[in-house]
Parts: sequence; C-alpha cells; structure tokens
Amino acid sequence: MKNRSIRIKVSLALLLLPLVSFAQDAGSAGNPQNFWENAFGSIVLLAGAIVVLAALIAIVKLFNIIVKMEELRVLREKGVEEIVEKYKQPEESWWKKFMKSATQYVPVEKEEDIMFDHEYDGIRELDNRLPPWWLWMFYASIIFAAVYWTYYHIADGPSLIDEYNKDMEVAQAKIDEYLATKADAIDENTVTLLTDEESLAMGQSTFETLCMPCHGMNGEGNSIGPNLTDDYWLHGCGVKNVFKTIKNGVIEKGMQSWKDQLRPVEIQRVASYIVFKLHGSNPENAKEPQGELCTPDEAEGGGATPAEANPDEAPGEEDTE
Amino acid sequence: MTQVERIQYDNAIVRNFAYATLLWGVVGMTVGLLLASQLIFPALNFDTPWLTFSRIRPLHTNAVIFAFVGNGIFMGVYYSLQRLLKARMYSKALSNIHFWGWQLIIVSAALTLPLGLTTSGEYAELIWPIDIAIALIWVIFGINMFGTILRRREKHLYVAIWFYIATWVTVALLHIVRSFELPTSLIHSYPVFSGVQEALVQWWYGHNAVAFFLTTPYLGLMYYYLPKAANRPIFSYRLSIVHFWALIFIYIWAGPHHLLYTSLPNWAQSLGMIFSLMLIAPSWGGMLNGLLTLRGAWDRVRQDPILKFLVVAVTAYGMSTFEGPMMSIKSWNAVTHYSDWTIGHVHIGALGWNGMLTFGVLYWLLPRIFNTRLYSVKWANTHFWLGTLGIIFYAIPMYWAAVVQNILWRAFTPDGYLVYPNFLETVTQIVPMYGIRLFGGLLYFTGVIIGVVNMFRTISSGKLVANEVVEVPVVEEHKPAGKEYWHRWIEKRPVQMLLVSFVLVSIGGAVEYLPLSLIDENIPKISTVTPYTPLELQGRDIYVREGCVGCHSQMIRPMRFETARYGEYSKSGEFIYDRPFLWGSKRTGPDLAREGVGKLKKSDAWHYNHMLDPTSTSPGSLMPAFPWLHKNDLDTTTTMNKIRVLRKLGTPYEEGYEYIANDDLMVQAKRIAQSLKEAGIEQEGVERKEIVALIAYLQKLGTGIEPTAEAEK
Repeated sequence: MKNRSIRIKVSLALLLLPLVSFAQDAGSAGNPQNFWENAFGSIVLLAGAIVVLAALIAIVKLFNIIVKMEELRVLREKGVEEIVEKYKQPEESWWKKFMKSATQYVPVEKEEDIMFDHEYDGIRELDNRLPPWWLWMFYASIIFAAVYWTYYHIADGPSLIDEYNKDMEVAQAKIDEYLATKADAIDENTVTLLTDEESLAMGQSTFETLCMPCHGMNGEGNSIGPNLTDDYWLHGCGVKNVFKTIKNGVIEKGMQSWKDQLRPVEIQRVASYIVFKLHGSNPENAKEPQGELCTPDEAEGGGATPAEANPDEAPGEEDTE
Repeated sequence: MTQVERIQYDNAIVRNFAYATLLWGVVGMTVGLLLASQLIFPALNFDTPWLTFSRIRPLHTNAVIFAFVGNGIFMGVYYSLQRLLKARMYSKALSNIHFWGWQLIIVSAALTLPLGLTTSGEYAELIWPIDIAIALIWVIFGINMFGTILRRREKHLYVAIWFYIATWVTVALLHIVRSFELPTSLIHSYPVFSGVQEALVQWWYGHNAVAFFLTTPYLGLMYYYLPKAANRPIFSYRLSIVHFWALIFIYIWAGPHHLLYTSLPNWAQSLGMIFSLMLIAPSWGGMLNGLLTLRGAWDRVRQDPILKFLVVAVTAYGMSTFEGPMMSIKSWNAVTHYSDWTIGHVHIGALGWNGMLTFGVLYWLLPRIFNTRLYSVKWANTHFWLGTLGIIFYAIPMYWAAVVQNILWRAFTPDGYLVYPNFLETVTQIVPMYGIRLFGGLLYFTGVIIGVVNMFRTISSGKLVANEVVEVPVVEEHKPAGKEYWHRWIEKRPVQMLLVSFVLVSIGGAVEYLPLSLIDENIPKISTVTPYTPLELQGRDIYVREGCVGCHSQMIRPMRFETARYGEYSKSGEFIYDRPFLWGSKRTGPDLAREGVGKLKKSDAWHYNHMLDPTSTSPGSLMPAFPWLHKNDLDTTTTMNKIRVLRKLGTPYEEGYEYIANDDLMVQAKRIAQSLKEAGIEQEGVERKEIVALIAYLQKLGTGIEPTAEAEK
C-alpha cells in the first residue's frame, strides 16, 4: 500500500514536469501580442495534459489491480483466514488517500488532543500541522522563482526588449506575407501606374540593384540592354507592357523573368519607376533608339506618361531587352 | 488560588474610532459613487475644479484607505489589544491625541486634495506638512501601543499582536522614506528621488501600503474577531508562525510588479514578479487559518450574519491574494496593467476583504461595548447580501471592460495598422460596463446605509460601557507544561519582535533600491534630454495639480500595439528630470509620453480648445473640462524657489538662473500666445494664463528622444 501511494506520487510528479515548463512559457512575459492566440493553444495544451494524466492514472490503477490479483493468488495458497484478515477492511480510494496526505487535519472530534494549554482572552489554538498541499504550493512557487531567475537573469535569457524586437519581426513578416498575397492579385492586365514618391523610391532602389547591370544606372542602356528613357520600345510601352516584360522576361533576347524574385507589387513599383521617372529623362550616354515608336494607344493602356505631359519631348526609343 | 486584579478596559476610544469608521466609510464611498457617475456623465464634473474627477479620485482612495480602513484598524486594535494583553491602553491622553490627530489629518486631506494640493504619488498624495503630521500621529499610536504591550499581564503575545507590531514598524518606514521631499513653499514640494528611482520608491511604498495598511493589520483583526465570533480555536498555531514571518518578509519585495514593462530595469521587474508569486502561499496561510478555524461552526455561519461577513471577507482576501500574484506574471500584467482589471482587483480587496471584515467587526463589537443586542439580525443579513451582490456587480464588469479594451487596443489590420487608432473608440465601448459597475457600487452603498441605521438603532438601545471592569489573574511566571515551541521565546519579547520585523522588511526594499541608485548603467543617459524650461515646469505642476496622471499614463511599454499607437517605447533616461514621475497606472485616456512629437503632436490651439471643452476636439470624450485654466493667471512668484530647489536636487539649472527664469518664461509664453493668435484664438492676455504653461508642458512631452526644432532653439 505504501508502495502504491509512492508510485502515484511519482507519476503525478512526472506529469507535472511538462506543466511546470509550460507555466514558465506562460509566465515568461513572452510576447503579449500573441497572448490571445496563445490562450487558445494553452487551453488545448492543458486539456491534453489532463487527458494524459487521466490515462496514466488509469494505467496505474490497472497495474494495481493486477498486483492485487497476484497477491490474492499467493494468499489463497497460504490459507483463507489471512485473506479475510487482509481484505476485510475496504481499501480507500486513491483520491481519498491523496486528499488525506494533502490535508492531514486532525478531525474536529479529536482536537482536544492537539489543543495548546495557552489561551488569549478565551482564544485557544490548535497544533494542526501545516496543510501539506499548502506547503507544496509554497515550495513550488519558490522553485518556479529560482528557475525563472536563473533562466532570465543568470543564463541570459531574452530581455523584454529582445522579446519586443522579436515580436516586431514576426509581425512584420506576417504583414509582408499578407501584402504579398494581396499584391499577387496584380497582373499585367490590372496593373496601374504608381506615382507616389515612396513607391517610386522603392522602385528606384530595385532598379539600381537589379536592372542597372543591363540597362545602366539611369536607364540609358548599355551593351547588354536597351535604352529605357526614349520613346522607342521593343516590347511595348506603358506600365502594362513594361510590367509584363519584367514579369515574364524575353528569354530569347536575354531579358530574364523576375516573377520568382520580385513580388508583383515590387514589379509594379519598378515598372512605374521606369515609366514615370526614367522615361523621358534624357540621360548622358544614352544608347541609340531601338524598336518602335510608342503609340498613344499603347501608352494609354499603360497609363499616363510624362511623355504625354510633355508632347514636345524628343522622341527616343525603347524596349526592355 | 490565583490572585486576581481588577482593571478597566477603555471602550470610549473604541467607540470613537467606530463612529469615525462609519462616517468616513460613508463619505469615501459617496465620493466613489460620484466618480463612477462622472465616468458615464462627464457633465457631473460641473466644470468646478474641486468637483472634477481627476482631483477627487485621490480623495476617494485616501478616504477609503486611510479614513475608513484606517479608523477601522484603530477601532479593532484598541479593542483587541487591551483584551489580549489584559491591560488598559497605556495612556488615555495619547489615545485621544491619536484619535483627534488622525481625524484632523483626514479633514485636511479632504480639503487639500480637491484644491489640487497634491504630490501625485498614489496613496501618498498629501502635501508635506500633512506628511509630517501623519508621522507624528503614527509615532503617538506606536508609543501608546508599545506602552500597553510593555505593561501587559500576559507573558506571551498572541498572533494578532505580531501583525500589529509588524504593521506599525513597516508603515512608519514606508511613510517616512516615501515622504523624502524638499519644500518650495508651505504647500508644495519636489521629491528627492526622480524618474525611475522615484517610481521604484513609489511602488515599494504603494504596494506595501496595501500590504501593511490594508492587509497585515486586518489579518491581526481576523485572528481576534473570527475565533471570538465563531467561538472556535485557531486551526493551526504553526501555520500562524510560518505564514506571518514569510508574509512580512516576502511582501516588501513585490512592489516592482506595478512597474512591469516600464523603463525600470529588467532585473528589478523580475524580482517583483517572482516574489509576488512566492507570496501566494504566505497570503493563503491567513485565509486557511481563518476558514479552517470555522471547522465545526459552519452550521452557525448560516444563521449568524457576523460570521457571514467574516467568511466573505476572508474568501475575498484569498481571491485577491491569488489574483494579485497572477497579475504580477509579466505576460498577464501586459493585459491587466493600465486597464480596468486593476480597478476590479482592488475593489475585491477593498469592498470584500476590508469592507466586509470591518462591518463584521462592527456588528460584533458595538453591541458589546454598548451592553445591548444587535437591533436587527434581519437588517444585518440584508446588508450582507446587498454587499456581496454589490461586489459581484462591481468586479465582473471591470474584468469584462479590461478584456474588451485589450481586444480593441491590440487589434491590427492584416496590413499592420491599428483597427482602432482613435483611443476614444476604445473608451466609449466600455461605458456600458461602467454603468453596471455604478449599479454594483450603489448596491454595496445601500447595504452600508442599512448597516449604519441598524448600528445607530443598536447604539441608541444601549449605553456605552466606557470603562469595562474585569478581573484578571495577577501575572505569574510562565511555567511550560512540557517542551515548548522555539517561537514562544520571541513571543515574550515585543522589542525583539519589533527589531526582527524591521530587519526583515528592510531587506527587500534595500536590495531593490540600492543597486538602482548606485549603479549608473541601470539608467542609461540620453544626451538630448533637457531640463524643463520655467514655463514647462510650471505647466507640469499644473498637470500634477489637476491630477491628469489619474487617467493618462506617460509610459509606453515595449509592445507592438503600444508603439504603433504612441511611438517609440519609453526609456529610463528620459525621466531623469521628472519630479514627481508621472508614469500613471491607469489609462482612461491615452498615453501622453509622446504627446509633443511625431504623429500625436497637436497644435497649441488644439490643446487650448481641448482643455476648454474636450468634446469640441474629441466628440464623445469622457474627459472633464478645465475652463479655469483659461481664466487663472499663472502664479510666477513660485518660479524662483522651484528652480532653486530643483538645482539643489541635481537638475542642472545654472547658478543664478532663478533670477532670470521668469524672463525666459514670458518669452516662451508669448510665443505660444502668438501661435494661438495665428490660429484665430483671440483672448486678451492669454500669455499670462495657466493654459499656456500647460500647453508648453504638453508640447515638451516626448521631445527628449526626438528633439523638435523648438527645443533646439
């Protein structure tokens, strides 16, 4: 019987271990932003732990029954009287035993045995021991405190600011992911010309890192790619055509497809930068025109261009190689 | 044959404190009801300075804590102390000085706080002359208590008295350290500590005001009145010992849990959190010893309203001492802090634990000292049920409001914008909850009124036994019957107990405070943080006077939903010139830490109109109007002393600056007046009005790390 209660205690303790580490996570000041998401996960985790606990208790119970049956067989070999002796007292349930070991109060009827002889204005005091469950709770909180302190302040766990920075990164990644899906809705048929400074600046920075090698820093063109600043285009003018050319490339002529490297919105920005800013900018060392003169229809399909705004501008020519 | 001695217990002083408890209880709760109503109907501020929410909120907290519960403590202590020690109070004169002195302090608090005379530290708002009076009266109480203890006819001290001793010494320590301040005039002072350090001292004080004013003395009362009323022995003497010492040692460390995620260094925050968690068991020790003492008396709890009051009080104590540590866990605190959750939590404590215990004690004690019977048990039961229901109707909407507000504060659109960027939207949503809270408060208050009438009728049916004559055995040398507990040794030695308590409660505060003040790395300097200009300084003192800190924090926590709303999170170095610090602890309005910079910056004219009528700029706002700021002339005669005192405390104003400070003040005021004029606000002489100083201060907020062109000039 003694063995059994020890067994139960050990299995309970083993079960509580993951719970303690879980509690640490919850208490680790983790990322408050995710609290509402975590709350659901926490409940699921807790429910899971309870199920596992129940299952283990059932196994322990089953094991006990087997042991008891075995004992019964041995006793039966020794003689009936001993069986009667051993089993006439009904055994207490594990729950009752647990409660008993967790509380251990002297019953009210027997309190005279533990009454102190002192009294204060008629108030007497009993000598009940500290409620064991209360003591366990106290020890558990002290252990938690030690573990927490060790993790965060001796073992160099993350500071609140570290956690904040991480939260911000996670949030930004989520935003990017969302924007990516939203921007995926853009294609060569729906794309519009962006004219806000921020988008154009982002387009410019993309241009200056990815397009510059073939089209020159200012779109003037070089030995590889055509001039993007004049009115002559190899694969059509206007933002829609330019978008399409960047997206799919013109593989046979050496223009690569960017659709796997740039998100649609990024293609839109760089296309807008080319059409709105580079086009008509008359850079130095401009390559000679290639392709066909842009027709107003085509340009309209691609949205307004500065060339339309400045009709007297010198015609160039163009193309995305 | 033991010899007996005839002595008299002083019941008159107990009666006085009982009357004061009832009177201030009703006053404090009435103010509470007004405040709760103002949060629904801002018109109830009546555009009157001394009736305005922000000024009378501290009146409510001070009245309930120091007047209602304070007098309750003294009533309970003066009655039980005499009987537990078998000795009359040491000095009738000291008792009377204590009583009248305390009432005078309360009256002066009730006059000064609505007038805007405040230091703004929570529960430590009173101005320095009153602080001195409190210290003096507290010492008088101590002398009276210790005089009685030293003249006792009982060798050993009962557990209730351990709690009284620890209470006395700790409150003295807390009050004195929190009141370190340098006066600039008879009614104004600046605290010696500034910024982060003052925040730590404040919450070391504020938290332990709860611990050692609202908790330990009431545990002492519980240990006397509960076993008396139930006529049952205390469940466990061992538990009393362990939970008493553990409680007073651990409690004092927990203060920083009021500052989680603030600019307080991380290590101090963690200490506050882990000690709060370790506090659950010692706190629950008191609850267990109370509830388990009732074993064998639960049948009587059903009939006896007094026991009912005590049971609900002890249960509420258990609830709030579990809730408190949970709220100290950083990730949960991120939700509860600044929200109405805290308001719900403190009212479980105040209405449940302190309120119910106080009324239980009053019902038990008044019939005894008036030698009569309770006028109506039925009424007492009604009071009990109204009180219990009142607490439920109070607390639940507060928790609900906190959850709603958090959901709204934290809501982001998928592309990263706040769903409710306008803070006001998150306030108007919870007004219905404020309505239910008011209903809960009304229920509780109705119960109290019934109780007061019941007690009044009880008193009139009897006659005060001013001096209760009792026969007590002449004190003999204590001869233990066998082996005794080691703890009996210190129970015979009140002075040692006082000293040991003092040492224990000093440790936590010292370990937390000293590194913060001695090690510079704890508060990294920021080169762009400058002292306040004279006008900003005067404006800041107006901000303090009007109690803005009651609803507006100035502390942006490092959390995405805060920085998205308010800007860069606050840094400890930004607060080095802040005396007092104004981080706040509740956001009924938005945070103002970066009000003067970035996207939150408003024009001078916006502030001018907003203070005149908040709904003109923010329709539906619950904020009271502050029209007197536009009428009152700014008092510039105080500038000189303020500059001088601040320099003494370490603010780098140049020597002699106090003499020309007002010139700078006028230049800045005229600049603001000019900008108001340009915006079409025509008020003659507006540059001399208080509003201009307040605008200057609000525009300064947040410039420490983002200097504006203005500040660079």
